[in-house]
Formats: sequence, structure tokens, C-alpha cells
Amino acid sequence: MSLSRRRKLLPWWFALPGLLWLAVFFAIPILNQVSVSLMSGDPEVGFKLTWSFSTYWDAIRDYHAQFTRSIGYAGAATIIDLIIAFPLAYFIAYKAGRFKGLWLLLVILPFFVSQVMRTASWQLILNDDGWLVARMQDVGIVSGDGRFLATGKAVIFGISYNFLPFMVLPLYATLDRIDRRLIEAASDLYCSRWVAFRKVTVPLAVPGIFAGSLLVFIPACGDYINSSILGSSNTTMIGNVIQSKFLNVLDYPTAAALSFLLMGVILIGIAIYGRVLGTKNLTELAG
Amino acid sequence: MREDDARAQSALERALDEQVLSGRSSRRRFVGRTAGAALMAGGLASVLSACGISGTAQENVAELEKAAATVRHPKVPIGDWTFSNWPLYMDKSVLKTFDKRYGGKVKYVEDINDNNDFFGKVRQQLTQDQPIGRDIVVLTDPMAARWVRSGFVTPFDPRNVPNRKNLVENLRTIKYDPKRQFTLPFQSGAIGIGYDIKATGRELKSIKEFFNPEFKGKCTMLSEPYDSASSVLIMQGKDPATASIDDMLGAIDFIEKAAGKGQFRRFTGNDYTTDLTKGNVELVLAYSGDMVQLQADNPNLRFAYPEEGAVTFTDNLMLPANVAHPYAAETMFNFLYEPDIAAKLCAYINYISPVEGIRPILEKSDPDIASNELIFPTDEIRGRLKVYPSLSTREEQQMYEAMSKVTGA
Repeated sequence: MSLSRRRKLLPWWFALPGLLWLAVFFAIPILNQVSVSLMSGDPEVGFKLTWSFSTYWDAIRDYHAQFTRSIGYAGAATIIDLIIAFPLAYFIAYKAGRFKGLWLLLVILPFFVSQVMRTASWQLILNDDGWLVARMQDVGIVSGDGRFLATGKAVIFGISYNFLPFMVLPLYATLDRIDRRLIEAASDLYCSRWVAFRKVTVPLAVPGIFAGSLLVFIPACGDYINSSILGSSNTTMIGNVIQSKFLNVLDYPTAAALSFLLMGVILIGIAIYGRVLGTKNLTELAG
Repeated sequence: MREDDARAQSALERALDEQVLSGRSSRRRFVGRTAGAALMAGGLASVLSACGISGTAQENVAELEKAAATVRHPKVPIGDWTFSNWPLYMDKSVLKTFDKRYGGKVKYVEDINDNNDFFGKVRQQLTQDQPIGRDIVVLTDPMAARWVRSGFVTPFDPRNVPNRKNLVENLRTIKYDPKRQFTLPFQSGAIGIGYDIKATGRELKSIKEFFNPEFKGKCTMLSEPYDSASSVLIMQGKDPATASIDDMLGAIDFIEKAAGKGQFRRFTGNDYTTDLTKGNVELVLAYSGDMVQLQADNPNLRFAYPEEGAVTFTDNLMLPANVAHPYAAETMFNFLYEPDIAAKLCAYINYISPVEGIRPILEKSDPDIASNELIFPTDEIRGRLKVYPSLSTREEQQMYEAMSKVTGA
């Protein structure tokens, strides 16, 4: 083999472990589930591949409400996380000084406890007669005699809480990497601090916002823990439906079809989002 | 006293037996069997088995029975082996005693939170005839029945479990395992009315209270239809043991109508405990054992066996198919059926024990437990206990599908 040929092949050798990993743990299960989604039958006699695409239409017809709700909840949680995480990440990157490490540790500390445990403890804290719900009633988040648990608000709150670190970390990484001299230069050119922030810092943070939003939005769309612990039968998300179809009803085709529909919806959403905020257009935004 | 106890226990078991064994060969079942036979005759069996489907339930059971007749698990030294069970369902000191006495080390995992979830986890291996890496699993009646029907169990060697003679009389046989060759009861419990008497201001006795507008938004319902729909059937004066799938669907429909009006705050698994203890709800459809444990912290919490009758269930010890350490598992079966050990376990987990003769032991060691009617129901209560309906896998699917619509998923 000639040297140039070997050189050409080299990157593929490097990629091989990753490609194998993807093939075994991503491609094969995906193909398997695609075929499951096109099967029909029941758990007693088994499922056979019948190319029944109608499962997809039935799934959309029966569960569009849960789809819309999932996207709504995940979107709301992403926005809430962005609002909370940006100032926090900014503070850690610019103001925390030698305590940066400590702050970052605090951000990821909740991950050391299982998500179910954390969510279940909110169930305790947010009980109807609790202090926190009383304060929420004071400020009008919850109506006078209302409750917070078993409502959509509680589910959105839970998702925001659980996925916050996924927003903070990429934002911090981007903000921390921004060349401070650019901001100094802006001030030198008579930008006020606010304008420098708006015209320099925010545009340069866009990749972090993009990454953080995806990291929050995608898993949030498929989340089912928050809804099952903090919600009620009126707040079920598509993840709950998939779980119930797969584990209780044993309707594997519908469960698989719903998973692919969710994947499709998310991919389309991301494509649009990427167009608007994608890294390609960074320079334009910055300009 | 011991005799009284035995008599009371056997009354319960007889009642359970009659309901379970009342040999209902319904039309639906008959049709199912005939269809199965027709499939076989048509030579489709080979096609089905090629698709990884292992034939009909009867074939599986027949095969298991054959295996049970010749089962022999020789005594071997006990090494490391695995016991899968539900959370909060074991006194860990019992396990330590076991290890000390028999050697080896039991790896005890609390990874069964829900029959269906657990089945989903191991289904793939079971259908492909692979070991599931566990030597004992504990599953509730309908799921245990499904495993037997599907041939997912290993018969246990009765010679290694002489203490099975201590099994209370009424549980000695059950429809899906008439000779108890594959399953051995671990604990039983009942489903009834859990409430906070301080909040309700009065005693509650009827399942009808769950549909009383007074408790609108202040009660929870179990999302498991075997539990909730069976309870509703009892309320309607029907016996769930002989209920058909249509009866169950009717009961689910009844629950749906109430749910649509906002009657239930949530549909729950065991997690109703948080809502009840935190005062978010006043009334919960509850499991008896949970309520004994909750009462220890809050004496205002009550559990009532509904006056119309209560659903009772049994969780069963089983050896999964292709079990690696059957002797160790059977030794544990035998150990758990020693009255002293069973009494210790009962005092700890507070469910209804299937082991005869533990009450006199508890009267000495834990008189409170021995006199608790949630753990040792009175004769009068035993007379009101009903068992789950027996449904085919397909009917179960129909039932879960209907219930999932009600719970929003």
C-alpha cells in the first residue's frame, strides 16, 4: 500500500472505534425499532413485520395532544433555563474569580443524586400546605386556594430544575473563552457596558446558547419522570405515553412509532433552530 | 390459639381457592384454545417458532409440567447468587442470617418496582431463552401467571423445600400453578381505603367514597387496573375473580367518567404515600402493608378493608427460566418458610405472611403486630377478600390500553 493511500485511510482507522460503537449501539437498535414500528400483532401471538405505516397515523391522531404538550413544556423549560443560566454562567465566568471551580461544582452537584430522588423531594417541598406554595400564592403564581403540584406548571418547573446544569455548563464554557480584549476594545470605542454586552458578549455566546438549548430541549421533550412525579393525568408527556405503551400495554409498534415521530419532530425543530441561530450565521449575528 | 389461627388462615385460603379455582373455562378462552389448535394443525407452529414465538400457553405449561415431574437440583455449595425483589420488602438481617448459615453471598437487588416495568426489562432475554442473571424473582399473581403461561420459569425441586408444608392451606393451590411447582407465595396484601381521619373528620368504609364529590380532587386512584378496576367491580357488587374483560373495561370506563370530572388528583403507584402524608389528599386507594408502615409515623392515618370487599394479591417467589443457582434459591425458599424467619420478616415488612404458625411467635415478640388486623385479618375480613380476575395476555393488553387512556398516557 502506498504511503499516500495509507495516509488517506488513517483517519478512518481513527474513526473506527467510534463508528463501530455507533453501529452497534445506535444504528442496529434504530433499525430494529424501525422494523418493530412497522409490525402488527399482539403480545400473545407475537408481532410480525407487515409494513403497517398506519401505526404512525394512528399514533399522531391519538397522541397529538401529548406531542404538543411535550414540545410546549420542553420549550418553556428551555427558555426558563436560559433566563436563569445566562446570568449565572456570566457571573461564574467573569466575577467568580478563584471560586470558579467551587461554583461549577455547585452547579453539577445535584447530578450526584439520582434524578428521581431529586424530583421526588420537590414533591415533598411543594406540598399544598407548604411554605413555598403559600409564597407562590402570595405572588400570584398559584391562585389563592390553588395547588402547584399535579399541574403543568409543576412539570415545567421540574424539567427546568433538572436540566439547568445542561444550560449552565455550555454557556459558561463559551463565555469563559471569549477574548476579554474584544470587550475592552468595545469600551475603548466608546461602547457603554450594556452596548458592549449586547453587541459583543451575547453574539459570541450564541454557540453556548445553541448548545445549551439543544441539551435541555431534546431530553426534556422525551422526559417522563417529571410528569409522572409532579404532574397528573392532564400533564402526561409523550415520554409517559411511550413508557406506558412499551411496558404496560405491550404495544411495541406504537411505542416505536411514537419514538420515531418524536425524533422526527425534534430533528425538524433543530434544523429550523440551527438555521436561525446556527454557528454558520454567527458572523452575521455578530456583525 | 395456634389452632384458631390456622383455622382463620385456612378460611381465607379456602375463600381464595374457591375464587381462583372456580374452573371458569369461559367461551373466550375456549375459542382461544381452539384457534391455537387450528394454528398448530395448519403447520404454522414452525413459522411462529421461527419468529421467536414459543407456541401456545398450554404447550408451555405442558412442557413445564414435564420438567417439574423430573426436576432435580442437586445440593451444591452455595456461592454468589442473586435475589431480585421489590423495595422495602425484606429484613436485611434475615439475609445476613442466611449467608451465615448456608455460606456464600446473596446479592439482594431491589430492582422490581412494577411488574410490567420489570418484565419489560427482562423480556428480551426470556423470549430468547437466555438467563436473566437472577436466581429468584418476586412477581405478583397476574404477572406470575403470565410467566408460567409463557414458560419463563423453572420448576423448583420440592425436595429442597421441605418447609413448603408450612404454606397456609388456601394458597396451596392457585389456578395458574395448581400444584405450586413453579411459584411459592412470598407475601400477600390487600387493597383498601387509606385516609387521614383528621382531614376527613369521619370513618370511611366504602369504595363509593372515591366517587363522592366531597373528595373531588382530594383523592388518588391506583393506575394499575388490576387494583383499581377490581376494586370498582367489588363496589358494584361484582366479584373480580369471575369478572370478564368486558366487566373490567366497564369498571375502567366508570373510573374514566369520574376522572374526567376531576375527581382524582392523580393516578399513582405506591407513590400515593407522599400525597397522603403531606396532606395533599385525604383519601387514597392503598396497599395494606404500606399503610401499616405509614401509621407508625402518623397515627391519624387509617386503613379500612372496604365493607363491599377488598382485593387481595399475592407476590410469589419464582425461579426464572435458565436459572444459574437453583439450589441456592430453593434453600432460600425453604429458609423463608421457617416460621421463626417468616415471623421476623412479617414484623419488619408488615404484609400478610403465607407461612403457617407465625402468629404465636409474634404474640411473644411483637404483640402489636400479632394483633394488627392489617397483618392478621379477622375471619370476618377474610370472608370479604377477593382475588384478581384471570385474563389472557391479549385481554390484559386491552385492559392496560383502556387504563392508559384514563391516566393520560
